[in-house]
Amino acid sequence: MMSSIGNGHRAFVIAVMLILTLAMTGDPARADGMLNLNEYDGKVVVLDFWASWCVPCRRSFPWMNEMQKKYGADGLVIIGVNMDSDASEAEVFLRDYPAEFKIVYDSSGDLARQFDVIAMPSSYIIGRDGEQVARHLGFKVKKQDEYEALLVETLKQ
Amino acid sequence: MYETDKEIPMSRKNSKSVAATLTTATCALLGTTSTTPVNAQEEDEWELDTALLYYNEDGNRVQDISFKMLANRNFVDDRVLSLSLGVDSLTGATPIGAIPFAGPQTFTSPSGNQVRTTPPGEIPLDPSFLDTRVALTANWQQPLGRLSSFNAGLSASSEYDYLHLGANFKLSRDFNKRNTTVSMGLAFAADELDPVGGAPMPLTPMLDVDDLSNRMGNQNKDVMDVVLGVSQIINQNLIMQFNYSFSSSDGYLNDPYKIVSLVDPVTGDPVPRIPSPGVDGPSHEYRFESRPGERTKHSLFGQAKYYMNGKVLDASYRYMTDDWDIDSHTVDVRFRWPIGDRSYLEPHFRYYTQTHANFYRTSLDSSLPLPSYASADYRLGEFDAITLGLKYGWKTESGNEWSARLEAYSADGSVPANLLIGSNQGGLEMYPDLDAIIAQFSYSFGW
Amino acid sequence: MKKLNTVASALLVVGLAGLGGCSSMGVEPWERDIMAKEEMQLTADPLEAAIDDHIYFSKEASSGGRGFGGGGCGCN
Repeated sequence: MMSSIGNGHRAFVIAVMLILTLAMTGDPARADGMLNLNEYDGKVVVLDFWASWCVPCRRSFPWMNEMQKKYGADGLVIIGVNMDSDASEAEVFLRDYPAEFKIVYDSSGDLARQFDVIAMPSSYIIGRDGEQVARHLGFKVKKQDEYEALLVETLKQ
Repeated sequence: MYETDKEIPMSRKNSKSVAATLTTATCALLGTTSTTPVNAQEEDEWELDTALLYYNEDGNRVQDISFKMLANRNFVDDRVLSLSLGVDSLTGATPIGAIPFAGPQTFTSPSGNQVRTTPPGEIPLDPSFLDTRVALTANWQQPLGRLSSFNAGLSASSEYDYLHLGANFKLSRDFNKRNTTVSMGLAFAADELDPVGGAPMPLTPMLDVDDLSNRMGNQNKDVMDVVLGVSQIINQNLIMQFNYSFSSSDGYLNDPYKIVSLVDPVTGDPVPRIPSPGVDGPSHEYRFESRPGERTKHSLFGQAKYYMNGKVLDASYRYMTDDWDIDSHTVDVRFRWPIGDRSYLEPHFRYYTQTHANFYRTSLDSSLPLPSYASADYRLGEFDAITLGLKYGWKTESGNEWSARLEAYSADGSVPANLLIGSNQGGLEMYPDLDAIIAQFSYSFGW
Repeated sequence: MKKLNTVASALLVVGLAGLGGCSSMGVEPWERDIMAKEEMQLTADPLEAAIDDHIYFSKEASSGGRGFGGGGCGCN
């Protein structure tokens, strides 16, 4: 990403990132910080939008844990984007359904709006080149194999 | 082709180069960890709701004790099988439609085997009411594509003189990011009546003991219901629903046990009758009621549920009109008030009012020809009813829920002056007001 | 009574018409936390609703009219 933006713009982006980092309140040990998707260049990223009140999300977590474990070495990074307005609700959920993948918090909904989330849960598959490959609306247990096949195909690139 | 829930962006507009996405601040705001149970919808495979109900009407009228159970079996990917069972044990008496009178009145029982006498001044009741009713339903729900769902169900109930069989279907579709849901439902019922002693021919007299000459065989009644509805989420805290319903009934719509008194046009007193020699029978002239063989109803229903910081206000209104000229309005309000994290109090208020059917008659003038239809059934009369109730619910550590509710139902009728006949009826209780207690204890659990 | 009928009908027609033009009304899919709550379902207690329906059907001339789908978490 950085190479495609001019020097002046790069400085601006870094400044914005710094300002936003400083502006954050909350326990530094818990704040998952900003979602900088740059870090994942060359990896296949699954961005999964979930919430504690979303029942199908409970079915998706064990599967996502399995995928992260199975394909992490091949470059798969699953990021769960929590949409709860009260993050403590997410904590309660995570106690019952622990996540073995990265969790970030988007209580303001900015990231969800950016990705035009129209269903809960939604997951976006982003290829190694940073381009969005696919979007899944909802999570169907019966489609787990299909979801996995798409990941395998995307990881091959 | 791609499935609806897996979309690969085709246009440049959709193709977001994630790398070009502005870094987004996604910070956690720490709130105090709440002890609220994880959201209410636990993903149990089986969910069971059970209830014990006690219903009692003042004045030795109907008493009902029942047990009901609703079981939901959740299958993978939002498919649900629902099964319900209800067992009712009904005892007590119900007004038979004859007017009270200064003297005693004797009636032949529905079976025709015996007579019963009502003391002077009392509203005649049929005390031979003893019935056990079993009702079953089964319902299957499943998604149809991402935004639609389908429901299909069967229902059946049986009591000693009544059998019901029914089927229902429903289709729902979501719009506007699932903020709007449009639904359509269809229900069919085929009921069969086998009244004690046989269904009496409408408008024929109540006869002496052991005289069943005016009785007919089994009777049928078919009902079709159509419901169209739309629900809309207004904002984060408010959801509303509007339904239009249409109902059409066909067949034997009479109550086989209800009668109408024949009265003297001058006094308004029941016309006396002398039974055949050596036989018991009714003391006065009574005619079995007669209702039209068809009924069409239209209803409009609106509901709003509003969340206010933990409290929930549920208010609804229903308007009903039919071709028997009955109009009704129902206002129902519930307010749920949480107490701590695990329990709640919910007061309930309901107001109901209806106009009488165009063939509703408290009594019939014996000097005039009988009308085609006539019924003194208080349920077709003009009345206002109020329900006041309170419910208390609490949730255990394991997520199971108990609740108890107590309600008082009071129906107060009025008889229009033009339905009164003669000079003596003004001082009588021509409409049997109703006061009832409803007590229910419920337990819900899952595994 | 007739006036009440008119008001009632008008309210319901307005309600229905209003809903017709509400493609922009509502919340984002991730803002359904309150709608997902059990107590916010349109029929929060189906067993009790069925019990009440049966009681009132036995004692009054009107029945049904309510019940249906919508609201909830809107998931999947």
